[in-house]
Amino acid sequence: MLKKVILILFLLYILTLIQSSFLVHFTIFGIVPNLVLILVLLINLFTPLNDWFGVISALIGGFFLDVFSSASFGFFGFYTLIFLILSLFLNFILKKYVEVPFVKSPRS
Amino acid sequence: MKSTFRLNLVLGLCLLIALFLAFNFTGLGGTVKNFFYVISSPLQEGFWKAGDVTSDFLAGVFQAKNLKKEVDELYLKSRSLIVKIAELKELETENQALREALDLGLEKEMKLSLSRIVSKDISGEVLLIDKGGKDGIEKDYPVITPQKLLLGRITEVYDNFSEVMLITNKDSSFDAKILDKDIYGVVKGKGDSDLYLDLVPKDKEVSAGDIIVTAALGADFPAGIIVGSIKEVKKSDIEPFQTAEMIPSFDLKVTDVVFVITEF
Repeated sequence: MLKKVILILFLLYILTLIQSSFLVHFTIFGIVPNLVLILVLLINLFTPLNDWFGVISALIGGFFLDVFSSASFGFFGFYTLIFLILSLFLNFILKKYVEVPFVKSPRS
Repeated sequence: MKSTFRLNLVLGLCLLIALFLAFNFTGLGGTVKNFFYVISSPLQEGFWKAGDVTSDFLAGVFQAKNLKKEVDELYLKSRSLIVKIAELKELETENQALREALDLGLEKEMKLSLSRIVSKDISGEVLLIDKGGKDGIEKDYPVITPQKLLLGRITEVYDNFSEVMLITNKDSSFDAKILDKDIYGVVKGKGDSDLYLDLVPKDKEVSAGDIIVTAALGADFPAGIIVGSIKEVKKSDIEPFQTAEMIPSFDLKVTDVVFVITEF
């Protein structure tokens, strides 16, 4: 688990830097693709629900976005809280209503 | 069991919110940001340059068919500019003599601090530059390009870095006037690299191509800095003022360094 957390910490850090310094040159209709959000969503969708890895990655991703973006609504921590809530919500929906065939369900 | 889990979850969330509130109110958030900017700036500068080069290359590939037309247009423009340069050279000599006589150098008009762009925010029109409080940068200082085109103003200052809100940001608005005309208005950002001129009296004649410069009315920016040009004028019978779509004069794709005006 610790190895996975360190790996995702490094990956999300690099992705945030790419997003804020490299991808800003390639806007699509003025929008920069949010790679950090995409990765966090994918982790939350495709990792086992009971090991908290999705929630931890949401916290890390949100924190890096907070650090490398100007504070949204003037509040440092905005992205962290939004990502955390999103991750918890996704986990709740997946646990209750969705069965993904190749993901270990906490109920099995 | 389930209720204990929920209680822990709510407690954890509250703790996190309290932590962030403390970060925001004690200014610790700025310190954390500054720390990450310091350790990441070499990587960020590398990514910024790589993005710049790649986007230039891709723009060339995708716009190849327009390039011929553009080259022809630029050739014609360069001809007329050569004539202008010749005229200006004569004026320059005259101007230099006058400046020396009056002791009015630009560096005496305003104090500038050179800075590099490190990154651009994805959520808004905000740039991060590598000069901060330790370099004497303060909030609300104007920022211009080396060509003396208005870029924005400082909105957040950390120890070694600062955030610049571009003039195209939705929260940006300042007084401006049309060059060589006695017409004043307010330039407002629209987001997505767009801006417009607002509150221009209806009876004033504004036309596409007019150059907009900062006005001396507001104390936000020094007067006479080029902001952009008029793209399209919009008049409506029901509105008391006319507005005009603008093209900003700066181009971030060709701008790596900026000047922060520390005194004007």
